[in-house]
Amino acid sequence: MAERSVVVTGVAVRTAFGRDTGALLTDGFAGVPAFDQVSRFDTTGRRTTEAATLPGSPDLVEELVGVVDEACAHLPGRARAGVPLLLAAHADAEIPPLAGEVARRTGVLGVPRTYTGACVAATSAVADAATMIADGRADRVVVAAGYLVEPVTFALFDAGRALARDGRVRPFSAGRQGMLLGDGVAAVLLEADSGAEVEPLARLAGWGRAGDAFHVCKPRPDGSGLARAVDTAVERAEVSTSDIGYVNANGTGTQFNDAAEVAALRRVFGAGLARVPVSSTKSTHGHALEASGLVELVVTVHALRTGTLPVNSGYLGADPDCALDLVTDAPRRLRPAYALSLNAAFGGANTALLVGAP
Amino acid sequence: MTALAPTDQSRPVPPVLPVLAVARWPESDVDTVEALPPIAGFVLSAFNPLVAELAERCLRAHYGQAPADPVRGARTAVVLASARGDVTTTRAVTEALAAGRRVPPLLFFQSNPNAVLGHVAARWGLAGPVVCTSPTGDPMADALACAALLFTAGEADEALVLTADLATGHGEPDQGAAVLVTAMGRP
Repeated sequence: MAERSVVVTGVAVRTAFGRDTGALLTDGFAGVPAFDQVSRFDTTGRRTTEAATLPGSPDLVEELVGVVDEACAHLPGRARAGVPLLLAAHADAEIPPLAGEVARRTGVLGVPRTYTGACVAATSAVADAATMIADGRADRVVVAAGYLVEPVTFALFDAGRALARDGRVRPFSAGRQGMLLGDGVAAVLLEADSGAEVEPLARLAGWGRAGDAFHVCKPRPDGSGLARAVDTAVERAEVSTSDIGYVNANGTGTQFNDAAEVAALRRVFGAGLARVPVSSTKSTHGHALEASGLVELVVTVHALRTGTLPVNSGYLGADPDCALDLVTDAPRRLRPAYALSLNAAFGGANTALLVGAP
Repeated sequence: MTALAPTDQSRPVPPVLPVLAVARWPESDVDTVEALPPIAGFVLSAFNPLVAELAERCLRAHYGQAPADPVRGARTAVVLASARGDVTTTRAVTEALAAGRRVPPLLFFQSNPNAVLGHVAARWGLAGPVVCTSPTGDPMADALACAALLFTAGEADEALVLTADLATGHGEPDQGAAVLVTAMGRP
């Protein structure tokens, strides 16, 4: 298709580091983990009791309204009334009324749907938003996603033995034990480059999705599904993988997922993988499930803007299956032209977002 | 070949997607919850068997038996729209927590709708994007809009589009629909 360029003109993110980006960009990027004992609900009987949470018991609607308002701050009300909102959140019976309330309170055009596809929900929404803009169906689309740590999902992940028992997320590291959950609420305003009235924060140069056709919950070990998603994003952007200077990895800290992701990166970058800095910021802000991809997209935008690649925290030592140029110990000062943000989910769903410096 | 039109708030005149196969649940009085074939590893809830059966009926109607044609399957997406999701699994976990009971580990992966789509995609060899939504409008129309976006983006050439919602207890049954649509020949 004859595509219009898509730019990011507004971002907002809330994590355990706070409701602005201050501590996320300092402590979070430096690798200081935000995990602590969960006090929001009783974790008695759980194998793991840590998560990365905001203080108290935040309300998802309030947080979503807050990030949409922040990301759309430069839009006057009449302009916002023409902007559709794509949401991402956990699938349950409360989603339709939640979507309606967020739409009403933010003054957007409406919410056609909430993406519920687990850990690629938000990035799937971003891909559709970008397609709508690139194809000329919309001039602007705002994407918002939220997950706040709650007892039902916590208990499910604990029962599934997916949570790290040592209280740390150690992506791609020897001795990694699994993931930890984290609050994450984010919003991104995407616009057609030609119509944007403010200086873009970044370009969404490419996006791609592909499936594994492999298993209910395990990733395809050879990483071919995720690699096809990256290939689609790179081809759309008409760049070379040698132009990509940072990968914000899915990096959940689980054995299977991390190894499969490295296999995908080997397929994409070949021998060039050795020169690509990689980190998973889930190691500091935790896994925000349906919102994780949007939180990490905002992190990636800030990494490009500040020329600071965040630390892959919790690293204990090399895993032969995960040979990468990991950003460990301290943030790396680099200003790559392009960065990839990768996500993968149950059902073999994979997404890749290619972010370009403005 | 028939055609279905998705809706899209940002596009007053939606594209039309050619349809290769259709399926529904229930199709007749024999389609009761007890008649849903179980899926290994999925327990308690009818949601996942319902999705899997809709997919089976639709894909069998077109392909006869699994797997799909490998070339076409590699470019076939799976899209599921469900307004309320798997309320039975959520309720089971909530009740277990309230009673202080152990949460069954099998509920871990079936608690999100992607999981059963992984079962369908693996069985039929569908390696296109996997998308799950909770639509605010008509589920099938919105799911078709998602498929149309995948076609526009060049991410898939065909899509298995599913809708499924469990009974609410107000008289209507568990229900859903499936269509296999293609980007070929669309306007």
